Amino acid sequence: MAGEKPQEPLLNVRDLSIEVATRNGPARIVDGISLTVDKGETLGVVGESGCGKSLTMLSLLGLLPNKISVIGGSAIFKGRDLLAMPHRELRKVRGGEIGFVFQDPMTSLNPVVRIGQQVMEPLLYHRNMSRAEARKRAGELLKLVGIPGAEERLDNYPHELSGGMRQRVMIAIGLACDPALLIADEPTTALDVTIQAQIVDIVKELRAKLGMSIVWITHDLALIAGLVDRVVVLYAGTVVEDAPVDVLYENPAHPYTRGLLASIPRLKDEGAEKLSSIGGTPPEPGRRPAGCAFAPRCPIARAECERAAPALEPLKGGGPHRVACFAAGEIAEAVA
Amino acid sequence: MSDMALKQEDVRGEPPVNLWRDAWYRLKQNRMALTSLVIILALAFIAVFGPWLTPYDFLSQDLIARNQPPTWAHPFGTDELGRDVLSRVIYGTRTAFIVAISVTAVATLIGIVLGALAGYFGGLFDRFVMWFTDMTMSVPQLLLVVVINASLKPPLARWMEAQYLETLNPIYRNSIIIDFVLVFGSMALITWPPYARLVRAQVLSVRNRPYVTAARALGLSTPVIIARYIVPNALGPLIVAVSAGLGTAMVLESAFSFLGIGVNPPMPSWGNMIADGLRVWRNYPHLLLAPAMMLALATVAFSFLGDGLNDALNPKGQK
Repeated sequence: MAGEKPQEPLLNVRDLSIEVATRNGPARIVDGISLTVDKGETLGVVGESGCGKSLTMLSLLGLLPNKISVIGGSAIFKGRDLLAMPHRELRKVRGGEIGFVFQDPMTSLNPVVRIGQQVMEPLLYHRNMSRAEARKRAGELLKLVGIPGAEERLDNYPHELSGGMRQRVMIAIGLACDPALLIADEPTTALDVTIQAQIVDIVKELRAKLGMSIVWITHDLALIAGLVDRVVVLYAGTVVEDAPVDVLYENPAHPYTRGLLASIPRLKDEGAEKLSSIGGTPPEPGRRPAGCAFAPRCPIARAECERAAPALEPLKGGGPHRVACFAAGEIAEAVA
Repeated sequence: MSDMALKQEDVRGEPPVNLWRDAWYRLKQNRMALTSLVIILALAFIAVFGPWLTPYDFLSQDLIARNQPPTWAHPFGTDELGRDVLSRVIYGTRTAFIVAISVTAVATLIGIVLGALAGYFGGLFDRFVMWFTDMTMSVPQLLLVVVINASLKPPLARWMEAQYLETLNPIYRNSIIIDFVLVFGSMALITWPPYARLVRAQVLSVRNRPYVTAARALGLSTPVIIARYIVPNALGPLIVAVSAGLGTAMVLESAFSFLGIGVNPPMPSWGNMIADGLRVWRNYPHLLLAPAMMLALATVAFSFLGDGLNDALNPKGQK
């Protein structure tokens, strides 16, 4: 499943920093995030609300809301820097080479336009298809994402479809132009649990057929276990851990990742009366501690954690597992 | 997957339900609004087919039969020049509709364009547009129309005369055109601000909806996004405003014609007929009653239709 190692990654984000303008001056939301996505790879980006996962991905396509701006870093996609690209070119990348699936299918489709037209939109714009061709392709796409009676659905309005069906439409729109990369921003958060699994299955199927890379943003580590190849864990705007998915689940090296994994409820924990959680809340942007951002909530924090922030470094023994924690080595040993 | 098959069953076969169909269904439940709609359609019919409906020419005078009360020959009587009041009222309907529709169309267009651009782009442009809007609204309407009329009429008349001398085309000697252009123009120039404000407010709320971000993520261009994603979703309240606005424009036209700065005689307008009728209403009340009733009917109908549309398009606000 993973791409061949030595080749250039499809997307290479380096030291991306994002700030929001507040009344008290700029506050940093994303602080030097680096991550890569290889060709054909599926990357899970995990973290609590407000840790900067969505903004990181929105910034790549120049979709940041007002008052939030990129202040540094680069994002090389197919050899070109998305962050330095002129607006006109970036628009061709949007929808054409990078597809985006948003969180809430109930509000992410234009309510007054038939879904067929909405699926056709990127085809008409990026592929210069005729309306007849685009309509035919739209029907195929809806069939591809498993919408029953796809042809007839083209003339439906979004409100005539259920949430799961709408999210399938969103995926069809995201994939309309055969993008090399599909960014899915918590695509299942607004859906029922049973539908969530269906969406994950559909994306898996599509990936097998189309071979695109995927970035799947979520806070649900359990859901993506069978979907992603590698996971990047974000905390307070920084990458705290980056590891292949099986390594991460079996051998989480950052205390935050361990907390996240521990907070997944399991039926087996019969003895446990309370669900496990991580105490406290993430620091607000602009009020992050000088040292490790997780130190105030960390069960194993020590003096050095409050003085300096640990860098993201390969775990002892090398390999693709990287962690930003002074105690990483010890934790890994203890678990192993 | 089986529940999906079920869902598919009950949706298929039914025609696609949409906002307008739903709204129409709810509008039909509202008797006042429906009656108003019928009245408006009847008035519109009269306005469109007026020339074929009038029993007499609206200009032909019958000085022997002046100021006659309603009779079978003249259902609404005759005025002080012996002209058939019914025919004049019918032509007045024509005037009212032409003015109301053109004025509202121009004002709405200005409002949509300025409001949408201001709302979408924000910043300095937005401030400038809103500043201009407030300024226009702060000047009394009547005063503004008088000023516009007074300042534009002479140059326009001179231009028309020059065109006539050049081309000898009699159309340039037709003073009714000047009246209409000036009345439309000045009325449109004073009635657009509420539309602009409404559209701007709507666009501000629609602009940040997820489907707009989704459209941008698809690489669609700004004009396409504004025209297809933002404006259509911002127009709901505008329809209500336009319906009410048509009635207001009719009143405004009548008011200006009443004061003699709108449509000028001999072209009939409800306003100048009311002005004429008011002078003699003690003796010949039918001369006042006929145009006043028509004006009241039209205004009330548009107003109730507006209310009905409001309820039909915003069902959540009901009960």
